[in-house]
Amino acid sequence: MAKKFRRSKGQGKGSNHEPVIRLQDLSKVYDGGPVAVEALKNINLEIYEGGYVAIMGPSGSGKSTLMHIIGCLDVPTYGSYFLKGQEISRYDSDQLARVRNREVGFVFQQYNLLPRLTAAQNVELPLQYAGVSVNRREEVVEKMLEMVGLAERSHHRPNELSGGESQRVAIARALANDPAILLADEPTGNLDTKTEEEIMGLLDELNEQGRTVIVVTHDDSVALHAKRTINLLDGRIV
Amino acid sequence: MSFFSLLGLSVVTLRHHKSRSFLTALGIIIGVMTVITILSLLEGLNRKIKEEFSTLGSSTIYVQKVEWQMGPGHRQLDFEEIRKRKNFTVEDAEAIVGLPSIQVAVPSIGKNVGSLKRLGNKAQNCELRGTAEGGDLTGNWVVEQGRFITREDRLHRRLVCVIGSYIAENLFGAENPVGQTLDVGGHRYLIVGVLEEKGAMFGNTQDNVVIIPISTYLKYNPLPRGWRAIWSGLSIEALPKPGVPLEKAMADVEEQLRLLRGLHYDQDNDFGLNTQQMIMTAMQGITSTLWIVMVGIAAISLLVGGIGIMNTMLVSVAERTREIGIRKAVGARDRDIMIQFLMEAVVLALLGGLIGIIVGIGIARLVSVLVEFLDAASPWWTVVLGFGFSAAVGIFFGIYPAQKASKLNPIDAIRYE
Repeated sequence: MAKKFRRSKGQGKGSNHEPVIRLQDLSKVYDGGPVAVEALKNINLEIYEGGYVAIMGPSGSGKSTLMHIIGCLDVPTYGSYFLKGQEISRYDSDQLARVRNREVGFVFQQYNLLPRLTAAQNVELPLQYAGVSVNRREEVVEKMLEMVGLAERSHHRPNELSGGESQRVAIARALANDPAILLADEPTGNLDTKTEEEIMGLLDELNEQGRTVIVVTHDDSVALHAKRTINLLDGRIV
Repeated sequence: MSFFSLLGLSVVTLRHHKSRSFLTALGIIIGVMTVITILSLLEGLNRKIKEEFSTLGSSTIYVQKVEWQMGPGHRQLDFEEIRKRKNFTVEDAEAIVGLPSIQVAVPSIGKNVGSLKRLGNKAQNCELRGTAEGGDLTGNWVVEQGRFITREDRLHRRLVCVIGSYIAENLFGAENPVGQTLDVGGHRYLIVGVLEEKGAMFGNTQDNVVIIPISTYLKYNPLPRGWRAIWSGLSIEALPKPGVPLEKAMADVEEQLRLLRGLHYDQDNDFGLNTQQMIMTAMQGITSTLWIVMVGIAAISLLVGGIGIMNTMLVSVAERTREIGIRKAVGARDRDIMIQFLMEAVVLALLGGLIGIIVGIGIARLVSVLVEFLDAASPWWTVVLGFGFSAAVGIFFGIYPAQKASKLNPIDAIRYE
């Protein structure tokens, strides 16, 4: 089974020396309120293809902000972000949308499935925005749901799915366009221990297939799955 | 996302909020309904008027004591002055025939002679009309059987007549009336011709006419005097030669009449030259005024409807902030979100437009059933106009909310509770 879902894209450009993610003096400042809050301070970080990284830290440490910037959901205030050698921090909103669509898959703690769509339709969403043909979409959706073990639940809506099932649908959606990087922000935060193990087992498997996996967590048992742990405190890597 | 996916998405979303969608579309429904109803009735009225007046000769000049006046910009008539105007005579008509631009000109006078009877059959409300040879041309008559009045009939004051189809049908049925006689006003006329059916003008049949030579008419019937002479007196019908512009012929007739009536250069005309075209123009004036009023009403109701759509879309964008965030997180571009919401606004407006068109046509039909004179006509372009207006309103008032949705920052949108 593992072979079947191995990433089809080339394993980088022949070398493991160029990191898939490189952050250079990256800072994020929230300037909305009366005082500017510096959520991230001069972050320098390199993550290589096939890496399995846990980002840890107490709440307010900036780990979610870092994750959102890596996932192109947010933009840094200062510094540079290189994804596969491209400087993402200079991209416009359309280019960022493309990155979110094809290069990174994002899994949220709250699953963030669209409640009125079925599991299959939720998985189909990134494919629709990628302009994939209807036939190919059906094929991919089926394959993805099969991979996360929910093939028979494809026509259920999120309110008919358990937390673990919802998160697996979310993972299937994140991987629909076969991105190189899977980002998971507290993916097991709302799940019981047994389900947590299932989800983390799935992430392990995906990493074994060659995908770069980055998990944000404050839970040591989750971090143990990763090959590398980055600790954040007050917006700095420690 | 493809067009049809977006369309499907809009329909699903709108169906999810049925009553809200309906109430939002109500403004558009009322706006489009008003437009379609009024347009249909106006168009029906226009067609009716055209149809009615087409029974008049299209280029015949009617010389009368008063100029026909209808619609906006008409003058107050001084009837005391008009009453004193000189009557037209057969000689006036002959002088007009002599004009190089005129093909034929005939004197014409008529009166109601009530019912005509023959062998127990009755034709009601008949009109006796005296005219001359050529009166078939100026009166737009077609002789179906026999012949029209001739010069000899006129010169010899013959007791001959040409009858309208209504009289032929009611008094003679299947018989051929030509060669038979008809008693009118104490005289017995030989029927020499039957006219083709002309139809009704404003509900009055024109086929109830008995046409006799003008000389015969004047011999047995006194001319009306005073007030009655204004409309029922002798008039002249003139037809321009083929190829001569109506305006040229009218100018010639006017000049000739001024001469005949001894008017000085500084005196106004004491007669009117009337044409079918004048009525048409006047009616167009009325309907175009109605048009402007209608466009105003429609614009206001569509504006109100559009604001309703904008309001609902803004609420919808706020409610679905999280959905927008999720869509953006999985790769929706600003323009994908923009088009999704714009599509929703347009679909909403078009649904309103569709209902408005159906209800509007329905009301127009209902009115035309209830009001006998009014016919509703809903030509294809009113439907296109209805849809066009609704789509335009949807786009115009949908753009702002859609833009607002598309500019949301994905992470802020996802965090929105």
